[in-house]
Amino acid sequence: MQNVLSIIFCLSLFYLAVTSRVKTYVTVLQLQGIILTVLLLYPLIDHFSVPALILPATLFIVKVYLIPKYIKRILLDLDIKRIIEPTIQQFSFLLLVISTMTVIFVATNILSKSTEIETIPFASGFSAVAVGMFIIIFRKKLIIHVAGFLVLENGIFLFGSTIASKLPMMIELGSLLDIFVVVFLMGIALNKISSTLSGFEATALRRLKD
Amino acid sequence: MDLNTLVQGIVALLAILILSPLFAGVINKQKAFFTGRIGAPVMQPYYELKRLLRKETINANSSSFISDISPAINLIAVIVAAAMLPVGLAKPLISFEGDIILFAYVLGLARFFQILAAMDIGSSFEGMGASREATFAVFAEPIFFFTIGSIAFADNLTSIYDIYHSIKLNNVTYIVFIVVCSISVLILAVTECSRMPIDDPNTHLELTMIHEVMILDNSGVDLFLYQYSSYVKLCIYAIVEASLFYPFAVQNSYVAVIIFLVVIAALATTLAVVETVTARFKLKYVPQYLLFATAIGVLNLLIYTFTK
Repeated sequence: MQNVLSIIFCLSLFYLAVTSRVKTYVTVLQLQGIILTVLLLYPLIDHFSVPALILPATLFIVKVYLIPKYIKRILLDLDIKRIIEPTIQQFSFLLLVISTMTVIFVATNILSKSTEIETIPFASGFSAVAVGMFIIIFRKKLIIHVAGFLVLENGIFLFGSTIASKLPMMIELGSLLDIFVVVFLMGIALNKISSTLSGFEATALRRLKD
Repeated sequence: MDLNTLVQGIVALLAILILSPLFAGVINKQKAFFTGRIGAPVMQPYYELKRLLRKETINANSSSFISDISPAINLIAVIVAAAMLPVGLAKPLISFEGDIILFAYVLGLARFFQILAAMDIGSSFEGMGASREATFAVFAEPIFFFTIGSIAFADNLTSIYDIYHSIKLNNVTYIVFIVVCSISVLILAVTECSRMPIDDPNTHLELTMIHEVMILDNSGVDLFLYQYSSYVKLCIYAIVEASLFYPFAVQNSYVAVIIFLVVIAALATTLAVVETVTARFKLKYVPQYLLFATAIGVLNLLIYTFTK
């Protein structure tokens, strides 16, 4: 089941690489949130306990409801254009994603011979970290940078779940809070930028001086 | 090859050849339904083929013998490809180690001659269509090899019949694998058969055409051969897709036939829905769309290799 969810997760990464709409990013982030929630809920079928439900429930609320809703509100409030404005062609971006993913899968397979890791979830998580970074590097819009950060974080979450199956719950919850705060701060920052500069592109920030 | 297998193979090939225009007719009828029209009858492709057979064949003055032989080579190549596909659980007429490569390149040969014939006529419009067809073919080829080839690679098999029969459903990942494969095969079918959102078969502007503009100067029997081979090709890709679902048949040929029919019907509906709800892509977005399908194929290869 972990493999199946990881494959769907990888497909969502490919989709992020080709889409050119800001709203699709939000939808894919929601989908990834659902995948991660199911991933956490799945082991509970055998060993059900109410405290173990806290993490998936929080994850669901934060990643599937709160953050997407907040990003959508920023999009509406700041009247951001719906196209993502990439700095390289989507085609090259997808090629980059495919080659990175291939390298990561092969590397993970080599790694799995010496350590106890699940190849597919681990490689999918690692790929998400790389794709998240690429999104931040190759996109102009600041709101997409936030999305890239969230993809990166989803990747860390997925790959963390394969290395240590029992991370202390407080740490996971703490990291979720961190993400929410980062997105929140970014939202406030975007609002502030909008009052100074008209665009919401990283390139426009070069004009800022002391 | 025993007599029983031979008869099965011949019946399967005949079924493909006779029923392929009907498949196109069913898609068109459903498309008409979704757009709120009554539409042409499902037998319309047969009537059109019959009409074309009665017409005179005229070739452009500037054309050479390439234009004369291309339509026939095109159809023969497509029929040979059709003879390599397993319909239901029946063993295909042509089946040997390595036929997966032949299958891909026989279809490549058909395309090559069509492109050559389009350039042979000497019209700039047709040259443009040929150029587009060649470009998209470059991106479409890896989709097939990565998708079907991933199973071949993992199990060291090179015959289409064996490849399809080696898919086992003993692992939940393989079910996802089949679903994921079917997405990329659908994209491949759409591209190879020049349907929306890659190409609009109903377009009337030469500048925006891809496949249609290549056969703009053909008429009569030549046009019949091209049209008929495009129907057979559509049917071939539908079978490539349907064959992925045979593992669900658990070696029962009746169940296999039912699965085959259900998948073909579902595919016709999917194509009709896609053609109804999507607009044609801008030409610059097509390579990106095809690379997306290749990406899915690469992912398949990785997954299939590492879960073995």
